[in-house]
Amino acid sequence: MSRIELAGARVTVPVEADSGPREKVVLDGVDVVLTESRVAVIGANGSGKSTLLRLLNGLVEPSSGTVRIDGLDTSRETRAVRQRVGFVFTDPLSQLVMPTGREDVELSLRRRHPNRGERAAAAQEVLGRFGLQRLADQSVYELSGGERQLMALAAVLAVDPSILVLDEPSTLLDLRNRELLRRTLATLPQQVIFSTHDLELALDAERVLVVEAGRIAFDGDPTEAVRFYRDLCGAGLGPL
Amino acid sequence: MSGGRPGGILGGYVPGNSWLHRTPLWVKFLAVLIAGAASFLLLDWRVSAVSLAAVLLAWLSAGLGLRRLAGSTRVVVPLLAVLFAFQWWQQGPATAARIVLNLLLCFVAAGVLTATVPLQDLLDAVARLASPFRRFGADPERFALAIAIMVRSVPVLAGAFYEVGDAARARGLERSVRARTLPVVLSTVAYARRTGDALAARGLGDPDEDSSL
Ligand SMILES: Nc1ncnc2c1ncn2[C@@H]1O[C@H](COP(=O)(O)OP(=O)(O)OP(=O)(O)O)[C@@H](O)[C@H]1O
Ligand SMILES: [Mg+2]
Repeated sequence: MSRIELAGARVTVPVEADSGPREKVVLDGVDVVLTESRVAVIGANGSGKSTLLRLLNGLVEPSSGTVRIDGLDTSRETRAVRQRVGFVFTDPLSQLVMPTGREDVELSLRRRHPNRGERAAAAQEVLGRFGLQRLADQSVYELSGGERQLMALAAVLAVDPSILVLDEPSTLLDLRNRELLRRTLATLPQQVIFSTHDLELALDAERVLVVEAGRIAFDGDPTEAVRFYRDLCGAGLGPL
Repeated sequence: MSGGRPGGILGGYVPGNSWLHRTPLWVKFLAVLIAGAASFLLLDWRVSAVSLAAVLLAWLSAGLGLRRLAGSTRVVVPLLAVLFAFQWWQQGPATAARIVLNLLLCFVAAGVLTATVPLQDLLDAVARLASPFRRFGADPERFALAIAIMVRSVPVLAGAFYEVGDAARARGLERSVRARTLPVVLSTVAYARRTGDALAARGLGDPDEDSSL
């Protein structure tokens, strides 16, 4: 497995307040080393889960502190980092660029295989791996949400990243597609880091981080993490 | 309604074996290039009208169909109408007609290209054409990517335009220009950001040098 290392990672964004522009702290001093093959990130809306995940491939840069993937700094060695870290967004349509899945997978492979024939063969292999040949030539708009999500996954995994980051991969999926995704994720050799509001999915992980207001509020065993998170949510509500 | 479904003139390849399909890619490229240059060079609206008629004729004779043509023009007509009115007011009818006809000409010419050439071929050709620029530090793959994004973005953005129109109508705001345009701008910006992020995340936007080939 790879080694993902956040040291004092802090993320701020500029916001407009009545008193003029100001900094808002989105993540504050996150110190964590991830080496497990399955890590889930849970937490309330706006707690900072997506920001934490986006740090891992340099989509977001820490304003202070460092984020390293196998020793590579995400701010300075972004290109090498992105070759190692594949990222899957919640909405696969925002990441599928080409009209059909096959073309999209081939797009991923253009640099690796400048030769047209080799590229087509490599794409076919990737699509086959996910059982997607049958859907590969349909318009991505005609696929179901789950099929699209798998297609986006295939396009990302086509270039063999060693780490896969997914931001709420099951949010748009129905029960059946969610199971499909779950089973697919379980078979991947990659190190997988994902955020989710789906606590059952979180329980599939080896380690769970609970993010609360920009900090890691709990880090450890999935069952305990989920219990911690439930208590945290319940505490804010008071008696009914 | 359309939910951002692909359609319209840049809606992708239409399989076929017409004379336009069989015309070599470089000839069609040249034609689009000429059509593009025409917008700057043709200074008479009648020349523009004749050129546009010729491209339309090519479109129809290749069996690409009136439906696709109508579907796509529906997308640009509202914008062109606004532009036409504005230019008429600023520069008079002849100039307004020339500008609008030339834009339409480029649009249809580009449409001929994307309808009769599979996108993969188009990308390969663009990357090849751009490869001489490599020595100036340009990355040919980026040109190809830009084309791919363009082809994909037009229908998505057009979809946003109509979707927002529906949303405004549902709220009884169809007369409010603000209710119709502001969300389009916002969703366009959001779309551009998402696409940019997605490409960056896939390493597709990164330059070529020191790549791990
Ligand atoms: N670019 C930005 N500009 C302004 N605010 C931002 C930006 N990115 C994140 N934020 C803010 O940072 C906080 C954390 O956002 P983030 O998207 O990481 O939350 P999240 O845990 O993923 O939430 P959700 O469960 O809703 O997806 C939010 O309050 C959000 O509004
Ligand atoms: Mg989020």
